[in-house]
Amino acid sequence: MMTHRPRRRPLALAALALLLGACATASTPETARPPGAAEPSRPGPRPAAYESEDFVVTFAQPGDTPATLAARYLGGADRAWMIEDYTGLQAFSPGQEVVIPRRPWDLSGVTPGGYQIVPILTYHNLGDQAKGRLVLAAASFREQMQYLKTNGYRVVSLADFIEFTHLGRQLPQKAVVLTFDDGYRSFKDFAYPVLKDLGFTATLFIYTDWVGAGRGALSWNDLRELSAAGFDVQAHTKSHADLRRAHGETEAQYTRRMQAELEQPQELFNKNLGRRSQILAYPYGRWEEGLLPKVQQYGYVAAFSVRRQGNASFVRPLAAHRSQIYSEMTLDDFVKNLNVYQEENLR
Amino acid sequence: MRSGERRLLAAAIVGLALGGCATAAGPTGEPKAAGGAVPVARDPLASRHRDQALALERDGQLRRAAEEWKIVLTITPADSRARESLRALQAKIDEQVAARIDEGRKALARGVQLEARRKFLAALALDPANRAAFDALQTSTREVEFLTHTVRAGDTLSSLAQRYYGDRSRSEVIWETNQLPPNPRLTPGTSLKIPEIPGVPFVHPEARRPAPPVAAVPTPDVPRPGPAPAPTGPAPKEEYTPEVNPLLAEAREALERSDYPDAIGTVDRYLASKPGDREGLTLKKQALYGQARSQLDAKQYPESIQSLTLLTRLQPDYEDASALLRQARARIIEQHYTQGVRFYREEKLKEAIAEWRVVLEMDPANANARRNIDQAERLLRGLEQRMKK
Repeated sequence: MMTHRPRRRPLALAALALLLGACATASTPETARPPGAAEPSRPGPRPAAYESEDFVVTFAQPGDTPATLAARYLGGADRAWMIEDYTGLQAFSPGQEVVIPRRPWDLSGVTPGGYQIVPILTYHNLGDQAKGRLVLAAASFREQMQYLKTNGYRVVSLADFIEFTHLGRQLPQKAVVLTFDDGYRSFKDFAYPVLKDLGFTATLFIYTDWVGAGRGALSWNDLRELSAAGFDVQAHTKSHADLRRAHGETEAQYTRRMQAELEQPQELFNKNLGRRSQILAYPYGRWEEGLLPKVQQYGYVAAFSVRRQGNASFVRPLAAHRSQIYSEMTLDDFVKNLNVYQEENLR
Repeated sequence: MRSGERRLLAAAIVGLALGGCATAAGPTGEPKAAGGAVPVARDPLASRHRDQALALERDGQLRRAAEEWKIVLTITPADSRARESLRALQAKIDEQVAARIDEGRKALARGVQLEARRKFLAALALDPANRAAFDALQTSTREVEFLTHTVRAGDTLSSLAQRYYGDRSRSEVIWETNQLPPNPRLTPGTSLKIPEIPGVPFVHPEARRPAPPVAAVPTPDVPRPGPAPAPTGPAPKEEYTPEVNPLLAEAREALERSDYPDAIGTVDRYLASKPGDREGLTLKKQALYGQARSQLDAKQYPESIQSLTLLTRLQPDYEDASALLRQARARIIEQHYTQGVRFYREEKLKEAIAEWRVVLEMDPANANARRNIDQAERLLRGLEQRMKK
């Protein structure tokens, strides 16, 4: 079900014709080398490149990969995705021309053929064995994460995604975000080792009444450790109650309840993690229009439902979507949640 | 720009061609990067990108053409013709982007969200970092395309999700879109909105509305991807109703932005030409219901009663309309009753009696109001007699 962007063969064929022309000129030594010029020099320690503020045009050396080129020209191997996404290549043959973009070239992910969407996956509890819908077998989890790795998905942080929704960051074409709800201890036991292995990051949405509440819950100490290890912790309210205004609830009652659900976690975050939470997961994924100003009032810049769909860059940040992964899902079912592109003729 | 796959073949070909020419094409005395040789002469390399830029521009692929010009200028920064071509192209892009944003804003002003959305998207397709188009898309255009399904016996949310999206678990999206209660039982004959889910093609080939033409630029060789194949085979046609009538679409859009008077006005115009049309009536009921609820929230009880009365005339058992009607009436009665008490305390007995009479008119069995009126009338009579003396 994964949607790919269409390839454009006519262009490639045109390029072939042009190249053949270019080759013909270049293959005449007299025209290629001015009289008296030196013999072709051997490649030096650093390969030749033309550079501007927009692009680097260079030629792959033996052993070059997107990662080595990204390290050389983009300041870090973790930017290899820019080269892969721009060129559509994951490997280069020696001498091959490589055009490297130096700046974001597609901030919103919108192209004439459609637009990028980012799947945000939601997990709950993990266990040795699947149990009910929300306890996923650890083996299935590993299989799913391995699938992401093998198939070129790039797990990005939720913070990066939020920047994407503010037109502040381009994401890899196959970006995916991982989130874990409630704050189960099983995250540490089962998910953490897998994610560490594969170099994936994730966000934990915790509801503060549950923190340290029993053997199955993570403690503030655990959360501090996980933060230090590069995992993100955000709020899932105080008590995991539906945040929509209840039938018969007066305005005053509702305001008090929202203060408890939205502000108390902030105080606990401050006290225990030394910072406030900026991102909220709506309990049960439920929200309504009237709730959004309150969510904003307590300092959240983004909030998530569990409507099963990916997110375009222009999604409303306070009404973004996540897809829950259930224990009964097969790998095929899982893959159905990984669409990264919506085709639409926008020319 | 999404260049991944598009560059794949071209780049591979570059690789092959370079392999073929590399030995012959030595350096030409041109500037090179620190420490290394330039294995391909600058001019042929630049000229390939120049040709590509021109070809893309001819093809109307302006954004990619601009990138190619920038690549040319990366290789030959002093190429003033390339710089001029890029400048002219950029001006052309800016002009088209501005026109699309303008059209989008006009569509928004007319309340046609889907058209506005396409215009803003088309602006971003040309200039993916355009703040104005992005902000408009994010804050003002929320609607996505959808079709309407008329529920038949045996339908479940999962079966509909399987039918339309090929994925049973997408039932959650239909559930949320239609604001259904938990584990709903679907009533045959009612309508459900089946929204487009980005990245998930509708399974039915007929299901997707063709997008109206957006761009002024020609689209010679990029075919629009066809609809997805229908793995489950064709379904009986009457099970879904593609959105076609513009008045209905307009009414639905008004409903989406909670502009109920507009929705009701538009659907009434539609119903004038198709009286009794089920889809129109369903929409009208939704609009009346939404209007009544928002009026209730705003404590506009008489208005809310008016909406609910119209609604229950169309369908007496529509959702919780009769309960809301009772609720709204109770609130009005309460308001008049309290106002009566307030007047009474201020010794405005006649005004108090008038308020309680309204209560009795609406609720003849209201014993408190009756008792209060009796008492106030007695007091009033006593006062009047004292005045006479």
